[in-house]
Amino acid sequence: MKKIKAFFKNEKLWYPFHVLSHPADGYYEIRHREMGSVPVAILLVFIYSLCFSFNRIYSSFVVNEIDERTVNALTEMIAVFMLYFLFCVGNWSITAVMGGEGRFKDILVVVGYALLPMILTTIPAIFISQGIAANEEAFYTIIITLGTAYGLFIGLIGIMTIHNFTLGKTIITLFLTFVAMFIIIFILIMITDLVSQVYNFFYSIYLELLYRT
Amino acid sequence: MNKRIKSIVLAAILILGIMVQDLAAFATTVPYDSYNYDYWDDIVYTPAPFIPYKSFGGDDFKLDGTSIGKFSSPQDVYVAEDGVYVCDTGNKRIVKLSLDLKSCLEIIDNAGGTAFDQPYGVYVSSQNWLYIAEKTQKCVWVLDENREVQLCIKDPKSEIIGEGFDFTPLKVSVDYANRVYVVCAGKTEGILVFDSEGNFTSFFGTISVTISVWERIWRKLSTKAQRAKQVLYIPTEFTNLDVDPDGFVYTTNIDSAGTQAVMKLNPKGQDVIRLGEKGKIAGDLSIDGSGDYAGASRIVDVVYRGHGIYTVLDQKRGRVFTYDSEGNMLYIFGGLGSQEGTFNMPVAVEELGNKIIVLDAGRNELMLFNQTEYGALIDEAVGLRYDGDEAQAVEIWKKVLKLDENYELANDGIGKAYLTAGDNAQAMKYLKLAMDKKYYSIAFRRYRNEWLKKNLGGILTGLIVLIVVIVVLKNVINKKRGKSVVKEGLL
Repeated sequence: MKKIKAFFKNEKLWYPFHVLSHPADGYYEIRHREMGSVPVAILLVFIYSLCFSFNRIYSSFVVNEIDERTVNALTEMIAVFMLYFLFCVGNWSITAVMGGEGRFKDILVVVGYALLPMILTTIPAIFISQGIAANEEAFYTIIITLGTAYGLFIGLIGIMTIHNFTLGKTIITLFLTFVAMFIIIFILIMITDLVSQVYNFFYSIYLELLYRT
Repeated sequence: MNKRIKSIVLAAILILGIMVQDLAAFATTVPYDSYNYDYWDDIVYTPAPFIPYKSFGGDDFKLDGTSIGKFSSPQDVYVAEDGVYVCDTGNKRIVKLSLDLKSCLEIIDNAGGTAFDQPYGVYVSSQNWLYIAEKTQKCVWVLDENREVQLCIKDPKSEIIGEGFDFTPLKVSVDYANRVYVVCAGKTEGILVFDSEGNFTSFFGTISVTISVWERIWRKLSTKAQRAKQVLYIPTEFTNLDVDPDGFVYTTNIDSAGTQAVMKLNPKGQDVIRLGEKGKIAGDLSIDGSGDYAGASRIVDVVYRGHGIYTVLDQKRGRVFTYDSEGNMLYIFGGLGSQEGTFNMPVAVEELGNKIIVLDAGRNELMLFNQTEYGALIDEAVGLRYDGDEAQAVEIWKKVLKLDENYELANDGIGKAYLTAGDNAQAMKYLKLAMDKKYYSIAFRRYRNEWLKKNLGGILTGLIVLIVVIVVLKNVINKKRGKSVVKEGLL
């Protein structure tokens, strides 16, 4: 209990907001003064996935092209978390060999905290969407776009800061990160396929033995 | 005791009643799915707009006491004022049936002594002349009401037609001015138009070819020898046509992309059809997949049914689609199969009263479909709207909604009526169900303005009160602090 409380200490809990206004300093302190907290980052990812689904379900149909009956918040949450971990693992595996200084938990924190602007803009955007008619969609789109753009911006700064990279190198590593993500997905699919083949092999032996007796 | 028997009897009657109801439901089960597409192009199943009524194989009809024999791959049917004309291609004859489809009135197998060889299309003009497209004799026979040859349109001559022009008429239509429109096999230039004397006037409604950017790049990259072997980009052929009372020509063509298979040509030959919200008039919208059953619908016939409503026939999946003048899909029914009421090789569609006739060249049958209440209500409401009588249409739309809650056009119609009546809240409710962003926004804007007008006073008062309270509180707090400061100072 104490430990959990320590994770969500007041200053750590509100630190993402400090990062929001001081990205470079904030991320520097996360790397070097232990100001970040992985549980807070995961909490932010959790809230973000909720916002993501809420936006798809509750945005006014003037701006929302999605059939809300097809939205499943749980599957979307699993997808968001998988993408989050996939990106973090990919980035970590690339930066580890390219001389990045960031630890895995720093990457988790950076990416998690970078979702805060999107959380903060999505919820007002949902409310605004309820009050707009056609031709006024710009209000909604601008807010969403600003949130996403700022999120990407501080994410980029964060990756740069924790690894102590230049901007060019960061962009190269980001590109390689996506390549790594694809390789990971490929390997995962291949492993599941192979495992299922092995399983089927033994299962057919089992069936054969079962029917012989 | 008596009571008990009574209750048992009552229960038995109830159970029986439920069973009978079930049986009744079973009896009306149609052999095909009827559905429509919603805003997201997903399939929504609907009640059946038409149900199979009866099919006629030809041998049911008698002329002078003898059966006329089975149809043999009939290719066309036309409903005129005095009868139903079936183009019985395999038997080399035109069969005229009575409008109630109980007897055969006439068999026409020659034009002035020349026996037909392969009559492929039939049409009856307003002056009761019979137009027959002869495929192998390469001409269009025009017979008057006494079956005398009035005209034989063949071998069109014109500057725009090259030598050795192969005139193979498949389908024919005539407008109010006795202009003759002929669909020819293998003619990509368009529909041939002849005047009432049978002289060729022009081509009509040529389909333009669209080449995608990718195809263009690909062609640029390939050598001349390769290019010669590639598929030629020629426009598709017309498959059929119908002329409405105002002289607009509805044509169908095969569109493998599934975008536009129906055109409505004005007298100048320009396409004036409205493609609707989806931007497509080509039958089925979900055409993905592989295999024979996937791909765009093969629209082979069209019939104009009045009030801007027209029905087209898909040979690929045996579906009958109905659209209104704005390009909205009204309903879909029909399907391929071997059950009664399904098709094998549908070739032509016609309207007989409020029934729909589909001619099947594979089963050699004339199939009749009865309109259900659902289909009739939709037709009526669309007709009223076409005539500008929207208020009256609303009542019908409400009845449609009782049968099919998901019907977007009904919701739209009701919503728009509420909008004109000034009931913005109700309008918003229905227009949202209809996914009509444009009109929903109009209703919403009005609603928003009304709400603001009503509540602006309250909001502003609240705001002022809030500001005053904050200012006062601040003063009080400041005073308190000031006092405490003073106190501290005193101490």
